[in-house]
Order: sequence, then C-alpha cells, then structure tokens
Amino acid sequence: MLQFSKFVAVRAALAILTLVLVSFIVFTLMEMVPGDCAERYVAFKNSQGSVITPEDIQIERVRLGLDQPYIQRWGSWIFNAFQGEFGDSCILRVNIAQLLGQKFWLSLGLCLSALLLAYAIAIPVGILAATSKNAVLNNSLRLVSYLGLALPNFLLALMIMLFSTVMFGNSLTGLFSKEFRDAAWSYDRFMDFLGHAWLPIFILGWSATAFAIQTVRALMSDEIGKLYVTAAAARGVSGRRLLMRYPARHALSPIINSLGFDLNRIFNELPIVALILTLTEAGSLLIEALARSNDQQLAGAIIFMLTASIVGINFITDVILALTDPRIRRSIVG
Amino acid sequence: MTRLLDVENLTLQFDTDEGRITAVDDVSFTLEAGEVMGLVGESGSGKSVTAKSIMKLNPSNAVYSDQTKITLHLDDGPVEIMGLQTSKELQVVRGGAISMIFQEPMASFAPAITIGDQMVEQLMIHTDMNAKRSKEVSIEMLDRVGISDAGTRFKQYAFELSGGMRQRAMIAMALSTKPKLLIADEPTTALDVTIQAQVIDLMKDLVKDFGMGIVFITHDLGVIAQTADKVAVMYLGRLIEQGAVRDVIRNPSHPYTKGLIAALPSLDDLDTPLTPIPGDIPSPLERPAGCVFNTRCSVNMGEICHAKVPQFSAVTQGHNVACHLFNGEGAK
Ligand SMILES: Nc1ncnc2c1ncn2[C@@H]1O[C@H](COP(=O)(O)OP(=O)(O)OP(=O)(O)O)[C@@H](O)[C@H]1O
Ligand code: SF4
Ligand SMILES: [Mg+2]
Repeated sequence: MLQFSKFVAVRAALAILTLVLVSFIVFTLMEMVPGDCAERYVAFKNSQGSVITPEDIQIERVRLGLDQPYIQRWGSWIFNAFQGEFGDSCILRVNIAQLLGQKFWLSLGLCLSALLLAYAIAIPVGILAATSKNAVLNNSLRLVSYLGLALPNFLLALMIMLFSTVMFGNSLTGLFSKEFRDAAWSYDRFMDFLGHAWLPIFILGWSATAFAIQTVRALMSDEIGKLYVTAAAARGVSGRRLLMRYPARHALSPIINSLGFDLNRIFNELPIVALILTLTEAGSLLIEALARSNDQQLAGAIIFMLTASIVGINFITDVILALTDPRIRRSIVG
Repeated sequence: MTRLLDVENLTLQFDTDEGRITAVDDVSFTLEAGEVMGLVGESGSGKSVTAKSIMKLNPSNAVYSDQTKITLHLDDGPVEIMGLQTSKELQVVRGGAISMIFQEPMASFAPAITIGDQMVEQLMIHTDMNAKRSKEVSIEMLDRVGISDAGTRFKQYAFELSGGMRQRAMIAMALSTKPKLLIADEPTTALDVTIQAQVIDLMKDLVKDFGMGIVFITHDLGVIAQTADKVAVMYLGRLIEQGAVRDVIRNPSHPYTKGLIAALPSLDDLDTPLTPIPGDIPSPLERPAGCVFNTRCSVNMGEICHAKVPQFSAVTQGHNVACHLFNGEGAK
C-alpha cells in the first residue's frame, strides 16, 4: 500500500512536471507573439475611437506587471495557472477563469461522454467481432467501421444539420435553447442541455467508436490466439468464462492504455465540430483567440487547460492500470 | 497391462486460405496405463496437432476424417473422444482424465491471473472440492513438484517465477486433477539443460507415483531414450516407425529415423561429423505422393517410393516400419 502511494505520488509528480514544462512552452509562445497585452488592448481601444498615448501604454504595462522580468512573470503565471487563475483576457477584459470555466467543463464533458460512448459500444462489439465466425456480421461491422473512419466528423455534422433543417426546420445547433442559454443551472436547463448535447457527443463519438472497435477487435484477436487461452481450454475452462476471464480480461490493459490517446484525438476534433454546430465550447474560443483576436492570455489559458486534461487522463489511466495489471502492480508494490 | 488409449486412423485436415491441408494422415497407436510413449519428429511433422486431437483441442478449421476413432479407456467404460460435443462432455478429456503441458510454461499461464487461481479454477471445474479444499490441494501439489514456499508461490503470477519453477507449477496444475493420461508437448525444450534434467526426473517420479500414461512429444531422441518406454516417429503427418525405445534406437530401420539418430551428437566419438538429414520438410501444401519422405530419402528406390504409400511391416516383434525397403515387393 505504501509502495502504491509512492507510485501514485511519483506519477503525480511526473504529471505536474510535464505540466510545468508545457506551461513554459505555452508561456514562451505567448511571449513570442508580436506585441504584448497592453499594446493589444490599446490598439483595440484606438480602433474603437479612443485616443491613447504611449504613456497610457506604459501605465497599462505596469498595471499588468509586464515590466517584470520574464522568469518572474512565468513563475507567477504558472503559479496562478495551477490554481485555475489565468488573469484577464487581453481584449475582452474579463476574468478568463470566469469566461472559460463552464465552457471548459462542458467541452471536457462532451469529450469524455464521446469517449465513454465509443468504448461502451466498442468493447462488446469488438469482442463479438473478434470471436464470431459469422461472415455477415463481420462484413457489416467492417463496413460500419470503414464508414466511421472514412467519413470526417465535420461532414457528418453538416449532413445531420442539413437533414434536420430540411426535415424538422431545426438545425439542432448549440448546446442550449435560447431561453436557457444564460440561465442558472436547473433541472430544466440540464434536460435542455442533454437534449442538445447528444448530437455533438454522437458526432464526436462516431469516428472514435469506429476507431475503438478496431482497437478492441485487434487486441482481442491477438489475445485469443495466445497459448494461455488454449491452455485454459485444455484445462476444461469453456464458453463465456473462458472468453471473459482469459482473452477479454487480458485485452483490458492495452485498452485502458489507449484511452488517453483516444481522448486526445477527440479533443482535436472538437473545435471543428463545435464550429459547425455553433457550440460555444472552449475549442472554438481557442480558434477565435488564436486566429482572430490574437488574445495570447486567453489562448495560453486554453492550451494549458487542454494539456492539463490530457495529462490528467493519462495519470488516471496509469493508476487504473497499476491497479488492474499485476505485472505493473507487482513492479511497484514489489 | 491395461489399455488406456487407442488412436485409430487419425486423419486431420485444416481448412486454410490456401485450401485444405493434411496435417495428420492415418495415424494409429496405442498406449497402456503407466506407459510413456515418445512422439518424435521434426518441426511441422504434426506432433502437436496429433496430441491436441486427443483433447479435440484443434481450432475450428480442423476437419477430422470419418474413420478417425480415438478411445480413452476409463474405469467406468470407454470414452469415444471424437463423439464428444458439448463443453461439458469435453471436460473429461480437457483437464479431467487428460491433462496437457505445453512447451512454453510462461505463455501457458495467463499473465494476469495468479498461478493459484488457475489451479483452483481447474479443480473446481473437475472435482467437487470447494474453494478452500482446492487451495489446499493446489499448495500440496506445488509442494509435491518441489516448489519451495508453495503457499507464497500459490499467490504469485507466472512472470514472478523462474523458467524451471513455472514448468514445475504447470506440471503440478496438470496433475492436480489426477489425470489418467498426461500429454507433454515438448515440456523441456524451453528450459536450460540442468533444469531440463530435473524436470524430466520429476516427471519420471510422478508417472511412477500416479501410474498414468504419458505421451511425451519432443524432437530430441536423447530425451526419449531417457524417458520413454516406446517411441513413434512422425514425418509430415504420418507415423513412419514405431516400437520399443531400445529397438528403435539400437536398430533404427526407416531411413528417416536412421538420419535422426545419426544427427545425435555422441560423447564417445566427438570426431565423427554430425550428419543431419539433408533438405527441409516439405510444406503440407506440397505433400509428396507415395512415401512422404521420398524428397529427402537417400535410399529412394524410384518408382515404387513415388507411387505407393508404404504400409507398416514388422522388423522384429513390436517394432514396425513403413518403408518399401521392408515391404514384400520393395525388400531386397
Ligand atoms: N490451425 C491450423 N490451421 C492450419 N494449419 C495448421 C494449424 N495447426 C497446425 N497446422 C499445420 O499443421 C502442421 C503440423 O503442425 P504441428 O504444430 O503439429 O507440428 P509439430 O510437429 O508440433 O512441430 P513443432 O515441433 O514445431 O511443434 C504444420 O504444417 C502446421 O502449419
Ligand atoms: S519408402 Fe522409399 S522413399 Fe520412403 S523411406 Fe523407404 S526407401 Fe525412402
Ligand atoms: Mg509442436
């Protein structure tokens, strides 16, 4: 148990170290964007008609702490970032944590639900595909997963929107109906959210599922061919017990291992799907911040949070693996 | 002696992408209770699939001929193995009255299940012991095969044991249900020589104690000479020579067996070069007509060897060989 806590502590430390390194890279990138937050705000103000002098810029710099040395600013940025505090957006002038908070969790929720959906389908279907000799079943599965892999998510999103607009006069976009958009969380708002969220979850889950089925099927076929399965059959273990306790149980570790990678893929798909469905999720804010307004504070915060989620998932799967796979468990518990 | 196993006209084909291949062709042999039979032959000759046939363990692309008949004689009557269908029926030959040990002890244990759990599982399937009793019996068995600190080993995983220890554990597991027949498929090939000798000694002891029959598969005639009572030599799915170990090793008659024995290193005479049999075993897709060995046989008598499959004929009492040299027509 002590060893296990040590393992968790070491992994957690590694995860934090990764985040510190990432934050350094993110922060450096933010610095490398020409101009700083003060100039950007001033330029923005000027474009709105106010006249601002170089002195004003200097005052703004001091106020934002931009006159401090680089290392010190990085230090305080990361110190705050770990507490979920990212300062104010350069342009929008609102607190980033407040601006992003809910959107970020919604995005993470969408991605995790898509991942969950993908594996909830892929595990039974993948096992079936690996064990069944039924040609019709296998071929139709092949077709479906081929479609899943070949049909880009954004195309699927467009198709569904088009279809529902034509059929129901409702494009199914957004995460909330108008009346709930800015309302406080309530049962009704939650139900409204679910009514909207299934579509992005389905679209994000679509190719993830196809991918996951292939993963599960390949891993299962691999395990089924192994000698220990034949050996177990030779001892009289049979049927569902043989399948579940031997190959399926042993395919689990590599499946868990691939979860972090899959979540990463889903994250990457999120912005484009969100753009089409006009979801205001974190990914599309990122694109907005990067491409249009050059808001380095906001972009940095989003990249940091995305990375933190991936690192967090990897940390969690590492711990689950250590709990479920004796080879890893024994190597740490001794 | 009481008869334990009859294998009659075992013919086994596999459906593959390249078509139907013949892996075992009309193989027959018998085994008495308490007897050890060595099954030898080069890689690909069909030893493992023959052994698995006895448990009906070949994968689903296997096709057995209608003539195939495998009978296991148990105290409460004979069991026709080819007729067993449901997994319940098959349990008697899978871990019940027959156990099998494989070449790779590491790979034959499930990596994420403890040795103990796998042993208990087998006992619970085949006996009416409860979990507690199964555990006691398993630990006794581990102890019996010379594993020290069996209680601890019981809770460990295969990767935590050394190679020799794993194979001992495998033997313990195989014998825990007190099978009448043990099939050992190259049980020592993966072990180094000293451990190999220990494991073979252990098996010899256990056979005596348990009085079971053993089919011992190997490509090492030296191991056969140490362990077996009789030997069957297999080539490309056919038995080509069988008899008492002494007779076959002292007086090998089939050109293939002669070659196998000539290829054994001899400690008395280290100067004579080893003479391995030239050429490779043909692919089962290209089984030669006539005698299966004709592509590599140095004696090859032409026409008859290519046209006619040689049948068994006796060299001496109980020592049979399938080669035209010994058949009426071909004999000189
Ligand atoms: N499931 C299968 N499908 C198709 N062919 C098979 C199958 N199992 C075995 N074979 C073929 O049957 C032949 C005999 O194989 P087998 O494993 O019995 O050889 P072996 O004598 O045990 O060799 P080795 O010493 O390498 O273990 C080989 O040519 C092999 O490729
Ligand atoms: S039958 Fe002919 S080819 Fe076959 S082993 Fe005898 S002599 Fe050689
Ligand atoms: Mg083999």
